[in-house]
Amino acid sequence: MISLTNIEKVYRTDTIETLALNSISLDIAKGEFLSIMGPSGCGKSTLLNIMGLLDTPTRGQVQIADQPTQHLNDKQLAHFRNKKIGFIFQSYHLINDLKVLDNVELPLLYRHSAAKERRLLATAALEKVGLSNRIRHFPTQLSGGQKQRVAIARAIVGQPEIILADEPTGNLDSAMGHEIMDILLTLNKTEGTTIIMVTHDEIMARKTHRLVRLFDGTQVQ
Amino acid sequence: MFKHLFILIWNKKKQNFLLLTEVLISFIVLFAVFTLLVFYYRNYKTPRGFDYQQVWVATYTNNFNIHDSDSLHQFYESLRNAIQAMPQVVSVAFVSSNTPYSNNMQMNGLQYQKRQLRSVNSYIVENSYLPTLQLQLLEGQWFSPADAAARKTPLVIDQTLREELFGNGPAIGQLVGDDNQQQIIGVVQDPKFNNDYSLTGKAMFSAPDTGSIRSLSRALVRVAPGADAALEGRLYKLMANTMKNANIQIEHLDEKRNSANNFALLPMIILAVVCGFLIINVALGLFGVLWYNINKRRGEIGLRRAVGATGSSIAWQLVAESLLLATLALLVGVFFAIQFPLLHVFDLAATTYLWGLLFAIVFIYVLVLVCSLYPGKQAAAIYPAVALHED
Repeated sequence: MISLTNIEKVYRTDTIETLALNSISLDIAKGEFLSIMGPSGCGKSTLLNIMGLLDTPTRGQVQIADQPTQHLNDKQLAHFRNKKIGFIFQSYHLINDLKVLDNVELPLLYRHSAAKERRLLATAALEKVGLSNRIRHFPTQLSGGQKQRVAIARAIVGQPEIILADEPTGNLDSAMGHEIMDILLTLNKTEGTTIIMVTHDEIMARKTHRLVRLFDGTQVQ
Repeated sequence: MFKHLFILIWNKKKQNFLLLTEVLISFIVLFAVFTLLVFYYRNYKTPRGFDYQQVWVATYTNNFNIHDSDSLHQFYESLRNAIQAMPQVVSVAFVSSNTPYSNNMQMNGLQYQKRQLRSVNSYIVENSYLPTLQLQLLEGQWFSPADAAARKTPLVIDQTLREELFGNGPAIGQLVGDDNQQQIIGVVQDPKFNNDYSLTGKAMFSAPDTGSIRSLSRALVRVAPGADAALEGRLYKLMANTMKNANIQIEHLDEKRNSANNFALLPMIILAVVCGFLIINVALGLFGVLWYNINKRRGEIGLRRAVGATGSSIAWQLVAESLLLATLALLVGVFFAIQFPLLHVFDLAATTYLWGLLFAIVFIYVLVLVCSLYPGKQAAAIYPAVALHED
């Protein structure tokens, strides 16, 4: 599903050159649930951003769904992300000025879906995460766990093949964290969605199919 | 997408209130300025109705010792002949003090079929006034020596007064005034006697009679091209010798016109300068607010990029948001502005207001567009990975 070959990422300023990722090669199969672990600053999020086509590698190749991505332009990348990838972030990244339903509809808006279809799909996604009774609420009226469930609904509303989750349980207490993890596991199991999750939590990582460890930008496991 | 943007703006109405107010106030000021500009421009484009070039105005104090009106007629007759006989003098007419560009006004009422019209400019003029100022006669005839034998006092009116009194009906021969003592004999094109940017309005011209001859205090002299200071000196000398103890001043109508035009433009220039500063302030304010909003919304922009927005669609969204905000402010502004033509405030033509409205709307949209283009471009350049990491 996702194939990374010799990925290298270098951040350059006028005075400093930082090697964030060093020769990472990784193949992730369709339907796999992979977790990435490592200490802070080891390049986990950078790797996830490269897989999500939000960032480009300095060297190496990224292939998603058998399609090389290095030659895609801004419009094609945006289209690719919209169709194939769902994102979940540690800090949820909900738009506080939009109601829950409008937040969930957001990816469909860039797909130019009809308003009625958007409503139906967003409501269905919110039902999946158990938040159908909160669709008229604003994010500021929700708890952390509820916000993350809204973010999951937003990630799955477009039925993407891949979900990239950057520390989805990082801001939640243990019980909430397990709830979110259960939702992701169910998605992986029932829908066959490929999930790549960055986490600091060993317990959560053990629930996934495979664990990749990074250290100073290099894959150590 | 518009519905989405509208929801976003509506849910942020408190944050957007200041911006909306700023746009609304700017629109109202611009509407006033543009309406005034359109009004000035339309007046400027209206034919002047007379020719000011090569015309001199001799002002004199008419405190001469002639009590009999017949003698006064003879006095003016002989002075006119003397001036007329001077080389380079084309024609001369003695008139009341409200000569073109003089800022003097004589207003009278005029009755017609039980209707009393107020504020009609009244000019006492001699027969030679028409060729001297080259007024454009549209209907009927100008005064002639034969009028002396007329039973009714002849009256020439301008087009505005003609339309006000008779609409599309016939004007020539109509009787007006108290007890129908005056008869319309001619209609002239509206003259712009104040300046090039305002209309004189209703005007009527009558020949001096035994009573009104004493109100003559100016001589309008049309001179041939090339007439110089020497002629002016000779004219002054002639008048000074004829009118003992009178103060005489000779001015050129073209210079008086320039002065009157400058005076008329002064408030417009002041208003335009104030408006210019206001627009600069509004533009900087808009630019600043939009820039601040973008920096506050970096996380949102990053998210939108992540879920499928292109850089250009982000830029478009921010520009569209600004234009939508401007539209909301304009809707309120237009509601108030449209009351002016509906209620006939200030007695301007409705189309003058509508043009002012249109220009103000276009200007606001252009201003908002220009002010939001660069912030929009900057927003498009935000790197999603960085923006999502920052928030």
